[in-house]
Amino acid sequence: MSADNHPHKSGLKVKPRRLSKNYAVKSYALASCLSSIGLFGLIFIVLAVQSLPAFTEAGSTLLSARWNPTDNQYGMLPMLYGTLVVMFIAMIVAVPIGVFAAIYIAETRSARLRRFTRSSLEVLAGIPSIVYGLIGVAYVSVWIAKGLDLQTGRLILTAGLILAVMILPTILSLTTDAILNVPRDFRENAQALGLYRYEVFRDVIWPIAKTDIAGAALLALGRALGETMAVMLVIGSIDRLPKPIFNVLSSGQTITSKLGREVGESAFGSTHFSALVLMSLILVTITVLLTAASQHFFGRGRHV
Amino acid sequence: MSKTTVKILSLVSALMLMTACSRPEIISVSGSTTVLPAVSKAADAYQSQSGQNIVVNAGGSGSGFNQLAEGQTDIGMMSRDITTDEIARFAQYSFTPIAIGRDAVVPVVSSEIYEAGVTQLSFAQIADIYMGRIDNWSAFGGPDRDIFVIDKESSTGTRQTFFDIVLGDKKAEAPGADLVIGSNNEEQTAMTQSDAAIGMLSLAWLNDDVKGVSIVTESGGVIAPNLENIRNGSYPIARDLNIVIRDDISPKAQAFVDYLLSPNGQAFVQESGYVPVNE
Repeated sequence: MSADNHPHKSGLKVKPRRLSKNYAVKSYALASCLSSIGLFGLIFIVLAVQSLPAFTEAGSTLLSARWNPTDNQYGMLPMLYGTLVVMFIAMIVAVPIGVFAAIYIAETRSARLRRFTRSSLEVLAGIPSIVYGLIGVAYVSVWIAKGLDLQTGRLILTAGLILAVMILPTILSLTTDAILNVPRDFRENAQALGLYRYEVFRDVIWPIAKTDIAGAALLALGRALGETMAVMLVIGSIDRLPKPIFNVLSSGQTITSKLGREVGESAFGSTHFSALVLMSLILVTITVLLTAASQHFFGRGRHV
Repeated sequence: MSKTTVKILSLVSALMLMTACSRPEIISVSGSTTVLPAVSKAADAYQSQSGQNIVVNAGGSGSGFNQLAEGQTDIGMMSRDITTDEIARFAQYSFTPIAIGRDAVVPVVSSEIYEAGVTQLSFAQIADIYMGRIDNWSAFGGPDRDIFVIDKESSTGTRQTFFDIVLGDKKAEAPGADLVIGSNNEEQTAMTQSDAAIGMLSLAWLNDDVKGVSIVTESGGVIAPNLENIRNGSYPIARDLNIVIRDDISPKAQAFVDYLLSPNGQAFVQESGYVPVNE
């Protein structure tokens, strides 16, 4: 090292090193960023390629309601129907409860209570889904069967209700955030104008917070969509459309529960496997669209 | 970051990757939940005796075969035969099924139904129930209650054996089914929760809440589901409980297979409620 002979240049010696350190960190960050994007792209491509045989070999049967791999029948309607209906039930139960509870907590309770509810919600959100599934199988489905006098409580409705409980924390805490994120000035000015409390909320807070709340609901929907274990245990796993079609008091199947039950049984490369991959591709596509939509909402909320 | 640090870091990560990839010194067994109890008990005993680590996983016969064929497990457990389809898919390997015990698949009903008098059924009657032609217990002398029909995932050995012998088609669809479940455990729970259910279970899984019904043969005889009738071959829905190995099995896994077939290993087959082989 020549720097030893030129002590007055020692300052220069440090500088390039710091630069190179910066450079290393930067390129590391860039590499991680690119690799996570690449990973997503890779997953998408793999799913797309693997699902091609399903189109060529099962073709038109994909849109039927009959699933029987031995007969080369891969009708996905029952799974698509189950997924949509379960999501719908979860949302109509969880969104009103979550939003109203959040309004109550954010608008009328003290900061201390908010902190307490926040931490308990985080605990609730952290409970592994299999636990919800076990509670669903052991208690909820039994209660529903007894209460409605049915043969079984493993129903589309049960799955929807369990999911509602699971996404409630997400909706509740994000909605509370959305309300509290409205700048204090707005609230104070409105109060200074002499508006009643509910008027402050209805006319000032809600219009600003509602895009964020919509984003929260979509995020929760995304979670509900991907949930597997809990749904798989309580939905009954019948690949059949209910009769009549809106009878949620019958057993059904979602994409996730179907995948959970059958992926291990299907051989890699078979049409069966390919059909399952096609279903996961549909699932991923819906999730991506939901995430994009929720980010769009969140983004708009911030600009107000 | 100095060059030496980078070098050390990459060396460490390379080493970690290598250890992750190298085959660990454990024997893995997976597949049928019917075969599992016997193998799992034998594995515990073998492990404490020889110090060899053995991991036994459930998953069903179909999954057991797939994992074995794809090299993810050393020994597969199957409560049915390997299908020609499965053999054709992995034609590059040869597989050997080894029977470690014998079992019966028993049509089971909820204890309430059993106590109400439905203690025996013929194949034709069971077929009527699963095909959705009869949907009330009163048709068989039971209470006036809808039959809750529990079906199993189509790749499970229990379902294939049952449907093969009762309906003559192991992959038959069951339009009468109200619920589809996977493992024997899950079936047992679902049976217990219902008071008007019919299902199919391996003999070893019967209990006070889940009663096995006798089979009425075409000649009018009534055969009860018990070990004695499996042993003498008169119970009609019987099957071999197999473990399956690939021709390139490791010596350590082979030693465990030998243990399973030894008198010590067979004792666990008996203890699990099945009939040992070589009897």
